[in-house]
Amino acid sequence: MASVAAWLPFARAAAIGWVPLAKNPLPPPPFRIPTSGGSPSSPSTSTTSASATTVGERRCDEKLIINISGRRFECWRSTLEKYPDSLLGSNEKEFFYDEDTHEYFFDRDPDVFRVILNFYRTGKLHYPKHECIAAYDEELAFFGILPDIIGDCCYEDYRDRKRENTERLIDDRLHEDEDKTQPKPQSKRETMWRAFENPQVSTMASVFYYVTGFFIAVSVIANVLDTVACGPDPETGYPRSCGERFSRQFFCLDTACVMIFTVEYFLRLYAAPDRLKFVRSVMSVIDVVAIMPYYIGLFMNQKGEVSGAFVTLRVFRVFRIFKFSRHSQGLRVLGYTLKSCASELGFLLFSLTMAIIIFATVMYYAEKSVVHTKFTSIPAAFWYTIVTMTTLGYGDMVPKTWAGKLVGGVCSLSGVLVIALPVPVIVSNFSRIYHQSQRADKMKAQRKARQIRIRLARNATSNAFVAAKRRREQHSDDPNSSAEKNFVNPFELQHHHLLRCLELTTDREFIEMGPDALMSSGAGTSLIPGSNAMAGLGRFASPTSHFLLNRRKWWCCGPRRRRKNSYKLSADRANNINNANISGDEFDEELVDLRVPSSLTPRTSLTLSHNVTAINVIPPPPEQQQLLQTSTTSITIPSLLQHDVVLHSNVLSPLLSASNRFDLNYPFDKGSRNQLNRKANSLTTVYEHGSTNETTVDELLLKPDVGRVRSPSSITDYASHRLTNTSLIVDKQSDEQETVKLTNEK
Amino acid sequence: MDDYSSSVCYTDFDDEGLETIKRYKPRSLEELANRTKFSKKEIQLIYQGFKQECPSGIVNEQTFKHIYGQFFPFADTSSYAHLIFGTFDLRSSGCVTFEDFLVCLSTLCRGSLEDRLRWIFQLYDTKKSGKLTQDDFHLIVCAVYSLLGNVSSPRYDLETIREHTVTVFQRFDKLHQGYITIQDFMSFCLNEPTIVQSIDGLRTTV
Repeated sequence: MASVAAWLPFARAAAIGWVPLAKNPLPPPPFRIPTSGGSPSSPSTSTTSASATTVGERRCDEKLIINISGRRFECWRSTLEKYPDSLLGSNEKEFFYDEDTHEYFFDRDPDVFRVILNFYRTGKLHYPKHECIAAYDEELAFFGILPDIIGDCCYEDYRDRKRENTERLIDDRLHEDEDKTQPKPQSKRETMWRAFENPQVSTMASVFYYVTGFFIAVSVIANVLDTVACGPDPETGYPRSCGERFSRQFFCLDTACVMIFTVEYFLRLYAAPDRLKFVRSVMSVIDVVAIMPYYIGLFMNQKGEVSGAFVTLRVFRVFRIFKFSRHSQGLRVLGYTLKSCASELGFLLFSLTMAIIIFATVMYYAEKSVVHTKFTSIPAAFWYTIVTMTTLGYGDMVPKTWAGKLVGGVCSLSGVLVIALPVPVIVSNFSRIYHQSQRADKMKAQRKARQIRIRLARNATSNAFVAAKRRREQHSDDPNSSAEKNFVNPFELQHHHLLRCLELTTDREFIEMGPDALMSSGAGTSLIPGSNAMAGLGRFASPTSHFLLNRRKWWCCGPRRRRKNSYKLSADRANNINNANISGDEFDEELVDLRVPSSLTPRTSLTLSHNVTAINVIPPPPEQQQLLQTSTTSITIPSLLQHDVVLHSNVLSPLLSASNRFDLNYPFDKGSRNQLNRKANSLTTVYEHGSTNETTVDELLLKPDVGRVRSPSSITDYASHRLTNTSLIVDKQSDEQETVKLTNEK
Repeated sequence: MDDYSSSVCYTDFDDEGLETIKRYKPRSLEELANRTKFSKKEIQLIYQGFKQECPSGIVNEQTFKHIYGQFFPFADTSSYAHLIFGTFDLRSSGCVTFEDFLVCLSTLCRGSLEDRLRWIFQLYDTKKSGKLTQDDFHLIVCAVYSLLGNVSSPRYDLETIREHTVTVFQRFDKLHQGYITIQDFMSFCLNEPTIVQSIDGLRTTV
């Protein structure tokens, strides 16, 4: 039983809150509810069963059968009752007791259950290493077992994997939130900021990105070439640098670069969501430092007294190269690594300083006695110590005394050790961060695909509803059509009824969504439900129909094709265009890379009904927590799937106002109703447990309530206006089968 | 914990520190069958679905929204789910146990018309003042519209919602008092056949 289906009654019940607000009266329910009030299994039966179970419990020990998704386990009751706080040990398991088969049925993973049952038997809970940690945790949570009773043999492994998983999830969620917080740029300012931060967003942003990159490079190269020797000075004969020779040209180049950088800086400042934070950020500081020297130079007198400071300022121009870090992912990662390894680096520095001071002091005193020694003071010895510890050994200062040489040897040996220690930590940090950033990119791509799948799945529900509506209308038009093999699904009936109630409450209509309903998977696979909802609801999304529908839309730009696709019902052109625009813009971005699956058959008119085979109402078990966590749970195509390929595109039933355009009536012929009856019975036994097991089809059908047939709407070429004038009258025949006749009623 | 359910509280020692996770279990099937109007089989069914969604035995508001979101494909269910959660949360504790859930569901699915109307009134009356004002109506109308998402036509905006609110409120507030008490509400609804039928239409078998 689908858990989603189990919640439908709740959703429907909660919907009575809409009733006083409804603009239009709500349609009657899709099938007759037994109005006998209370549940058919009266209190008497419940007490007898209660007594039976108490009797059972009092009996000393009995074997229980636990059926986990088909695999049967047997164990003594006393085994299970060893741990009364868990699901199996308490009477919570009675909620899962199936009285027909006298076993406890759970729709869970049998492999993990084996481990859990072993826990009851042996008292030790193990963690199977091949199992996914999240799945395992879910099973433990379901059966009410605490993870900290995992045995020592497996506990470390469990903890490690759990920590790794949580970290990864947190990282992913952070990235996801980052992505999500930029859904739609509201203003120009936000667009600009997005463009600055992610140059792939639009072509303008890319152009800007490359242009600034180019200018940074030009500026840096100019800085470098500025100092190259360029031929002798004609006046003095001394060699002079290119900067002096072509000073005008270099000045112009510099001006241009600085102008570009200034403009860029001010644009970024304008676009930044939090200006104060932006001004304090590292990149902003680098930008300022890169352009300041130029302006200061402009306003300063170039000659003479301030030339020393001026030269220093020119040095700062080299900081422009750091602006490249916006352009390079790797540089950013490096910078981030250094930041995150700050403590290791600090330790390294500190220990080096200590060692330098110690060795320098000793060297100084050891070499003090030498005549014309280079070790003139302790700070002078610092240079020697550093060069020795890092094993550079320039040779400009060497010890001459034996003591000095000894100390020098010890110094170089210890230098190697001290420097080698923190390096692996830094390297591993870098590697981890780099891989994380790579994984972030991969996740982004996957997330896009996932979101598309989710969108698809949602469209499927929505479209299925709209399609079902239209199908009913067409059936009413053509009562003798051969397309009566539409088996209905009570769950879907009720769900659609609920959506219909919502439509009528607000006087709006659900529309089919257009080109975004593309499939990302290849041809031939069924619709991939991406979310929990689709486990239950996806079964009535007919995949083939969506192939056709979407193919049309994708190949030709929306509005034109949509107009062509409307048939039988005249579309409200304005509405179509409006909707095309709306749905088109929203999803363009995301769909760039999808391949179009090949369509199966050319679209025929009306309904291609696909015959359905085995009943399999139970959808795959839905995922739990993460709505966006997808699995390729393909739909088991159940028998009662309405496999219709009636899809014309989002033709809107235009401008609906008060009239209820359809009741949930549909014609059937005898044969299909027989089949339907049987199948419906099997379903209804599932859905209406205690109550009437022999519901006939007419209970499924709407008993037309004469008072609720409304006058047709004024929209004349809307073909379903015939439906509003009709109602179903159910005739009795010889046996309990009933046929349906359409009558016209004005 | 309280009369309604037994709970198991335990602490899970994480690396960071202590984390208390509460688990709830309903007491017994028979007791629930006696307290509500559902049969045991139905309660079993409901519980299985409940447990699948929330293995810890209680629902918080987030899960409520998620569940509701499964039925309305493009909806933003947070506001409507919040309102419903408010009515289900009998002890105002921020979480709904299975018993609370079942009791409310029993009222909604199997209760009398008056009970259901009373529930609707509670749903609207978020401030628990006993009177409904136009603001309350506006809140609920916004919530219902947000269930549509943006896949509806014609599209709606704040103006539409406001108009709808005004229309509905004026229908109820015959005496133009500016507020509606529960008696007015119930008497109005009982006299309005469309409302009665619509409420009946949303009954479901479990």
